[in-house]
Amino acid sequence: MAQNGHGADRNEAQKHWNLLAAKSQRNRRIKDASLFAFLIAASIPIIIPYFWLLTLAFSAGRAGVDTKVLWPSIFILVPAVVLTWIWATIADTRRQAMVGWGAIWSVTIIIYAIFIGPSLHLFNFRFLFNPDFNAAYREIVAAKDNPGFSVTAFPSVWTAFWNSLFIAGASTVVVVFAASLAGYYISRFQYRYRESSLAAMLVLHAFPTTVLLIPIFLVIWKIGLLDTLFGVMLVIVGIELPFAVFIMKGFFDAVPWEIEMSALTDGATRRQAFYKVVLPQVTNGMIAVAVFVFIRGWEEFIFVLTLLTSNVRWTMSLYTFFVTEETNLGVDYGVVSAVGVFYIIPSFVLYTIAQKYLLQMSVGGIKG
Amino acid sequence: MATIEFKRISKKFGDETVIPDMNLKISDGEFVALLGPSGCGKSTTLFMLAGIYLPSGGELLFDDARVNEVEARDRNVGIVFQSYALYPHMTVSKNIAFPLRFQKTPESEIGRRVKEAAELVQVSELLDRRPEQLSGGQQQRVALARALVKNPALLLLDEPLSNLDATLRLAMRTEIKSLQERLRVTTVLVTHDQVEATTMADRIVCMCDGKIEQIGTPEDLYRRPASKFVAGFVGSPPINLFEGTVANGIVEFGDARLEITGDAGSSVAVGLRPEHLYFADSGIPATIVQHEPMGREILYVCETPLGLVRILETAAAASQSIGTSTHFRFETENTLAFDASSEKLIPRVRIRVPEK
Ligand SMILES: Nc1ncnc2c1ncn2[C@@H]1O[C@H](COP(=O)(O)OP(=O)(O)OP(=O)(O)O)[C@@H](O)[C@H]1O
Ligand SMILES: [Mg+2]
Repeated sequence: MAQNGHGADRNEAQKHWNLLAAKSQRNRRIKDASLFAFLIAASIPIIIPYFWLLTLAFSAGRAGVDTKVLWPSIFILVPAVVLTWIWATIADTRRQAMVGWGAIWSVTIIIYAIFIGPSLHLFNFRFLFNPDFNAAYREIVAAKDNPGFSVTAFPSVWTAFWNSLFIAGASTVVVVFAASLAGYYISRFQYRYRESSLAAMLVLHAFPTTVLLIPIFLVIWKIGLLDTLFGVMLVIVGIELPFAVFIMKGFFDAVPWEIEMSALTDGATRRQAFYKVVLPQVTNGMIAVAVFVFIRGWEEFIFVLTLLTSNVRWTMSLYTFFVTEETNLGVDYGVVSAVGVFYIIPSFVLYTIAQKYLLQMSVGGIKG
Repeated sequence: MATIEFKRISKKFGDETVIPDMNLKISDGEFVALLGPSGCGKSTTLFMLAGIYLPSGGELLFDDARVNEVEARDRNVGIVFQSYALYPHMTVSKNIAFPLRFQKTPESEIGRRVKEAAELVQVSELLDRRPEQLSGGQQQRVALARALVKNPALLLLDEPLSNLDATLRLAMRTEIKSLQERLRVTTVLVTHDQVEATTMADRIVCMCDGKIEQIGTPEDLYRRPASKFVAGFVGSPPINLFEGTVANGIVEFGDARLEITGDAGSSVAVGLRPEHLYFADSGIPATIVQHEPMGREILYVCETPLGLVRILETAAAASQSIGTSTHFRFETENTLAFDASSEKLIPRVRIRVPEK
């Protein structure tokens, strides 16, 4: 009798626990679903333009804005995204989720290939091989005999590409080098006005650099670096350096003092201790700084627009800008999109590769 | 191998004097412990020896030659930091080889010596790992191997055992001690743990606020502590200290009185070690308020006319329960007396339980 009563209690208790477990699982699902919904909603404003860019780059013809491919693409992809989301909330294990997503996206890709595939082409990427890709258009303009309207002479996109690469790459090298040394010094040595110089450095980064446009133009002009890539590089270095120093200082702060002293007693000179022991501890910081400065240089627009004039010194940003300008007069959205895609590929690749290090930066940087 | 001498060494950080005036001689092959509470300047002293800090004044001599300005890398000193300070981006074998890289040692010899050093501290199987893949004890051994690989003239250990668990600490204590005896390298160990100092070192330098309180063998520090501070710092459980006034061969502590022999001043601090006290049928009355079993022994805390007294008794001798009223006594030869104002030991003064 007593035994039975005890058993019944146990069953009751078990039911109670099951109920609680079910409730917690339900809550977790709701949370997951809301999170996914939020992420999707938040990314739509960014994703749609990129999507538009990609689709047009690979599909648009000469005939202005063309939505023949855009809409069907959306019809195919949006359900796939929604299904992915729903499946994420339904799937119990990671494995299940993966299998489901695999299925959804295989089907989507097949459908996409069948319905959209035939309309995709690389014609818009002709600017990669033919600098004078708007020759045909120029003829039309000439035929209409539009007086006073001149078509921009485009350099090869590769000229712009190498120019951008030089500006971004050179400023990256200089900033990483200078910021590492300066960050180390500030982190390790006491000197007068250390605190205030740090604060001043941060303030410098807080001001909008656009206000410096005219003064910088004048300085660059006076020292004879107008319309040189080197001048632009100097400007970018000057603008990016303070914050980079600050970030590197944070990383150096996190390197224990003892390992440096240990290296000194092990027989290293101060310089050897720096290169062999301290610097390897902050490579993540250097990579993070490098990526940010590179992308900053790659994207730079205002200063190159102001400081560079001849078209053989165009950077990718100027190239893209002028292609777009031309297009406003009634040409090729396809080429504009294709140039855009070409322009963002390096940034995209760099971010993807360096993601791991960028995520660490917030950690190293905050310690500053 | 080297003899070391501190001649009127002082060290200031800015305006703050950490070490006012230090004199110390360490002979070749000796194992010396710097013992003192946190912040008393032990690490500072060690870093001056290593060449990391420049002394602010005085002379530091290695083998009678002044080395004040000699850089760390030229001193042939091996150091183990409290945090071990292994190089995180190098494997264990690269870590150990690091000091040899600056000595133009041929590659084949580097390999051989790294292996030897690793065997010495038993980390041969770990040579390909990185520091983060090692336990605290293993990291400690690697740090020791790195300090020893270049056959240093002087080995410096900054609280090398403080990050280890109790068992490992005991094992490493023995190991470091026997290693030092085998290699006969002059060694300075920094510690705030008196047990560590007394068990490992040939001589102990007891420091307080940057000043040396006493230099002596572990036995000296225990039997003849030069000051109240040393008496309180060395010995576990800590010594009982009572201040009283002296008149006509009697020390008075409020209601209680003890007899005193010898040439004491007007007021003294009496030191009685818990292990020298024992329960008896007569003597000073005591009521037990607490007891802490410590294995073979039990530590009793008793309320007495002198104040709270710690008494260490073997567990077998008497099992007294809390609240018991009893008496305690002590042997006269083990008692200590310190001058109350200067806190220095008063030699040849003994205390006795008065006979009724
Ligand atoms: N680089 C420095 N700058 C300023 N003051 C310092 C510096 N290093 C140590 N001190 C001060 O010197 C005193 C002694 O420090 P030290 O590190 O030698 O103590 P310690 O005996 O090793 O203590 P612990 O057992 O805590 O390691 C402390 O008061 C400390 O604040
Ligand atoms: Mg210390």
